[in-house]
Amino acid sequence: MEPLVKLSGIIKQFPNVVALKEVDFSLREGEVHSLVGENGAGKSTLMNVLYGVIQPDRGDIFIRGEKQHFHSARDAMNLGIGMVHQEFMLAPTMTVLENIILGFEPTKRSVLDYDLAYEQITELSREYGLAVRPESKIMDNSVGEAQRVEILKALYRGAEVLILDEPTAVLTPQETDELFRVIASLKQHGKTVIFISHKLQEVMEISDRITVMRDGKVQGTLDVADATKEKLAVLMVGREVFLNIKAASTKAGPVVLDVRGISARGRRKLSELTDVSFQVRAGEILGIAGVDGNGQSELVEALTGLGRVDQGEILISGTPITNLSPGQIRKKRVAHIPEDRNTSGLCKEMTIGENLIAITLDQPPLSKHGVIRSREVNELAAKLVKEYDIRPANHRIRTANLSGGNKQKVIVAREVSEDADLLIAAHPTRGVDIGSIEFIRSILLAQREQGKAILLVSADLEEIMSLSDRIAVMYEGKIMGIVPAAEANERVLGLMMAGATYDEATQGKGDEVIEA
Amino acid sequence: MFSLSEIFTLTLIRATVRMSTPILLAALGLIVTELANITNIGVEGIMLVSAFIAVAASYWSGSWVVGILAAVVAGVLIAALMALIHLKFKADVFVAGIAINLFSLAFTRFLLKNWFGVAGSFYSPRISPIPRINLSFLQIHPVIDTLFNNYNLMDYLAIVLVFVFNFLIYKTVWGLRLRFTGVHPAAVETGGISVTTKKLQALLISGVLGGLAGAHLSLGYTTQFIENMTNGRGFIGVAAMYFGGVAPITTWLASLFFGFTEGVGARLQTMGFPSQFILMMPYVATVFAITFSMIRQQKKLTQKQPF
Ligand SMILES: Nc1ncnc2c1ncn2[C@@H]1O[C@H](COP(=O)(O)OP(=O)(O)O)[C@@H](O)[C@H]1O
Ligand SMILES: [Mg+2]
Repeated sequence: MEPLVKLSGIIKQFPNVVALKEVDFSLREGEVHSLVGENGAGKSTLMNVLYGVIQPDRGDIFIRGEKQHFHSARDAMNLGIGMVHQEFMLAPTMTVLENIILGFEPTKRSVLDYDLAYEQITELSREYGLAVRPESKIMDNSVGEAQRVEILKALYRGAEVLILDEPTAVLTPQETDELFRVIASLKQHGKTVIFISHKLQEVMEISDRITVMRDGKVQGTLDVADATKEKLAVLMVGREVFLNIKAASTKAGPVVLDVRGISARGRRKLSELTDVSFQVRAGEILGIAGVDGNGQSELVEALTGLGRVDQGEILISGTPITNLSPGQIRKKRVAHIPEDRNTSGLCKEMTIGENLIAITLDQPPLSKHGVIRSREVNELAAKLVKEYDIRPANHRIRTANLSGGNKQKVIVAREVSEDADLLIAAHPTRGVDIGSIEFIRSILLAQREQGKAILLVSADLEEIMSLSDRIAVMYEGKIMGIVPAAEANERVLGLMMAGATYDEATQGKGDEVIEA
Repeated sequence: MFSLSEIFTLTLIRATVRMSTPILLAALGLIVTELANITNIGVEGIMLVSAFIAVAASYWSGSWVVGILAAVVAGVLIAALMALIHLKFKADVFVAGIAINLFSLAFTRFLLKNWFGVAGSFYSPRISPIPRINLSFLQIHPVIDTLFNNYNLMDYLAIVLVFVFNFLIYKTVWGLRLRFTGVHPAAVETGGISVTTKKLQALLISGVLGGLAGAHLSLGYTTQFIENMTNGRGFIGVAAMYFGGVAPITTWLASLFFGFTEGVGARLQTMGFPSQFILMMPYVATVFAITFSMIRQQKKLTQKQPF
């Protein structure tokens, strides 16, 4: 059978990387085809080529055997190709309906025909089981809802092939299950789906075929029957990896961080902190799980002095630090790996070395009477670059030129080498390559062995479960409960991430809570 | 002291409407550009050049229609220049706007000297003004007649345009795409629509409206050209646009509010109030209005951030 889509010899060069190196890819009509690979492997770029928003330097696109030249997404759309991007293309202040019809608006005597649009959308939504509220504004929708809007938008535009770029990265496990039901229904209706992910479990669950990419090249395409997680991991990384590396829990020591009933204003209603309490002891990792935007950022800001606390108290080893400045809090032996390495973790215009010493610069031996001692600085920087395997191994390079993983290692090196009592790590491995993930996780565990208290905030459940001794789940600015790692599983945590308490989640009442 | 009833008379309402018209016309154009995420402060300069061109064209042709048309053409040309600077050469709109405003001030002063050999202002009985409109069906009652009848054609036109733009922005495909252009250009592009084209359209329309506003100042509101006669009305239009929440009908109300402060000012002045203080009033109101709308916008942003 002739493939529905065939990409052949695609090459795409960006200013400082070759993102695609002669990629071949083919798609059969009616299949669910997964595209897996580490961050930066070129998955999104390849799909943007198929969707017409990136023009390849070389290579051909065939749709049903016919060679095509796409100048814009509109050209691809006209041939039935639709894409849901990693970052949603939805205007928050506009309604669901308006977002769906944009560019393909029905009219009656040159006036927008909202009634017809409403009918068409409800019809589609019923057909594929994609529940949406057409008249609500996008900003009043949850992430899961917004994703359904995006899928509807593609269908409304007549998509026969649907590209979903890492759709599960932002979902709770239950929302993921629901998305999988939608994908099944799309397949049933004869649609073809390209599903991008780097979670191998998911991929094994829903695909017919799987294509693995690494470093701008396709490593192979497998039928799901022939694939195993191990095989895929080796193709993805090029060697065997060990991500579940947790050693047995050591004895936790005295309380280092004590958070007592804090409340704080949020960026939006859902992330307002309400009466948050927990403790982290020396020698333990407390994981904070939750869907992004449920108050995790506000919590970290409150703890590090970057945001104000309205009520409650925060103590470090018994000393109150509530509403002190970030500098004062650091002096109480608190280190912080910020959630966004590009805007708050690093000064991108400065070198690796300058970023590494940014915090201890005002203390001897790095400076004396306000004058920097370059020999000591260079020695320390070179030592850290080596210890933390930062590449390229030259501390005089500007951090802007580093890959995500190496940027993150610079931050980890700086914060860990501070030798603080409490390490607050916010999304320490988000968007970095598997090699760096492995490395950063092993460092966090080593810190725990050394008796540090670690607060780990992450939206990646697998990470939380594989590192934490105890797991606190946040939902709408509250802690839904704290679960010992031994009793945690994806289902229970997932239900709590959607608003169930621990008891509800374990007694199977959680599903009702979510329905309500 | 003055009695309030002396200040608040029916003629004050008339003055309010009359003074709000140039602000309203400018603000309507500003709404269109703002929706496309362009804060076009260059409207002040567009109005000033258009006011001059309107007077010149009306003087030479003896026709106010020609005057208006010439003003609109001038407005569109300057807007096209801004589009070139901002959309093609990617200069900041604010900087482009300031440049246009400074240029317009000097340019009109130069033309005034060069074409008419005068400095400061130009008046001639040969300038044909935009007529007032007498709607006989409104003469049924003296109060109704005073309130609603015998305004300048442009006063009526501006109000009609409020509803025209309200319709265009909220009921047509063009308007929907325009509203998306400002808030999510990437969504517009992936919908197969060119963001640059939308922005160009918005700028040209603001040129048309700025042209009308200018023509009204020099051929309707008065019949003369005075150096810098816009006197910040374009900026007050910006304030009205924000105060009105970037929507035509509420912006109309905001323009009336600014027209009202000007009207009250003028009235108090005839009663012997210190004139500097009075002349300050619309600007003080502007500062308050802008502050108020910015606070409101900030609140909106902090309350509702998507995902
Ligand atoms: N617009 C762009 N400009 C420059 N480099 C880019 C751009 N988009 C992607 N890249 C680079 O191309 C490579 C592949 O990226 P991407 O396709 O996003 O990977 P994936 O989706 O598999 O994570 C990365 O090294 C990335 O930094
Ligand atoms: Mg990607």
